[in-house]
Amino acid sequence: MRPLGKAASDDDRPLIERVRKGDQDAVRALYERYFDRIYNYVYARLGRAQDAEDLAIDTMTRGLTRLDLFQDQGVAFSSWIYRIAHNATIDHYRRHGKVVLVSLEHAPALESADPSELAVEQLSNADLHAAIRDLTDEQQQVLILRFFQDLTAAQVASIMGKSVGAVQALQHRALGSLERALQGRAVN
Amino acid sequence: MPEVERLERLAERLRAVEPYVPPPGAKIRGWNLVLAAVEQSNTARLRVHPIRRLVLATLAAAVLLVAGAVAASADSLPDSVFYPIKGVLENTRGALTFGASDRLAYHLDLARTRLTEAQAMFARHRVDLADQALSALDDQLNDAALVIQAEKQNDPTVGAAMENRLRQAIATHDAQLAGLQGQVTNPTALNAIMQARDRAAQALQTAGKNGKSNGNPGASPNGTGQGNGAENSPRPTPKH
Repeated sequence: MRPLGKAASDDDRPLIERVRKGDQDAVRALYERYFDRIYNYVYARLGRAQDAEDLAIDTMTRGLTRLDLFQDQGVAFSSWIYRIAHNATIDHYRRHGKVVLVSLEHAPALESADPSELAVEQLSNADLHAAIRDLTDEQQQVLILRFFQDLTAAQVASIMGKSVGAVQALQHRALGSLERALQGRAVN
Repeated sequence: MPEVERLERLAERLRAVEPYVPPPGAKIRGWNLVLAAVEQSNTARLRVHPIRRLVLATLAAAVLLVAGAVAASADSLPDSVFYPIKGVLENTRGALTFGASDRLAYHLDLARTRLTEAQAMFARHRVDLADQALSALDDQLNDAALVIQAEKQNDPTVGAAMENRLRQAIATHDAQLAGLQGQVTNPTALNAIMQARDRAAQALQTAGKNGKSNGNPGASPNGTGQGNGAENSPRPTPKH
């Protein structure tokens, strides 16, 4: 897996202080640090390059021009920027409609498909992305942040406003749902 | 295969997924747009500097506070915390009142106000404050008399008309004080009311005298009759 660059962390504060003082280099540094990650997150959610590009730019613009609001949030900048991206994604769904939003969390496994027979190594990236987009909003979010963005459970918990335990439980259910979704695709 | 193991394999497969990477053109376009927005935001922020915003907010709060206190003091009574503000406003109004007729109207208006306050204080059994209000009432009538006295020297006809206005005002006040006297039983209160009626009558006598011969130290030293009630009266507004 090609890394997405420096992992999101709390050491953005010095940069943020410089941005507040009008330091353009600091703006550039934060942009470089987060643009690819936000683009990747939004693309994984929407599946369309042009939309992902627009929403990633919109997210970075909002994040870097509204740092006065960030100060009041009491969370890391990384969590804040991901929340902006998430909200932008939700707004996008509202404006353009979401293709699939059916929870597979409690869907029974197909009898004709044996879970142990699912050869995950042979699944294409496109299949995985498509199957993830069949999951609920929260399940998509936790899988993308944990595995595509390589964030810790604690970081995901901060972004989603949940406890670490809740994120771990959600991740477990999301993987189960994803497995069933992939089985369904394999059967069809 | 156990579920835990299957899900762990799936998780590992997800970690191996190649990330979507933005095309270089998108990143450059994004940077140009972000930079322009940040610069515009900085310009707007500089337009209203935080310190300037703080000063403006403080000024607005002060204006609201003063306006609120002034509004609250307008009808305040001697036992109110806003009453001293009322006195300041009255004195300011007096300093800005010119001309004998206007000054007479000013003193008679304040005399009416003091009488109303005295009635309210008697109703609340605050005899001490009622007594102060009645004393201030008499001070206003005395100041009005001095204004009339001075005006008589300038224009006897106008002075006589003003004296008539004072007489009518004192008659009205006396009637009200007489009514009040019949309602109270407290000896101190009765004494204060009787003294107030006597002093009102004396003020009318003062107004009828010649300005140069009355020897009242409160009269205007230059004989123009523009004595300021707030300055001449020992108690321009009652204090408590």
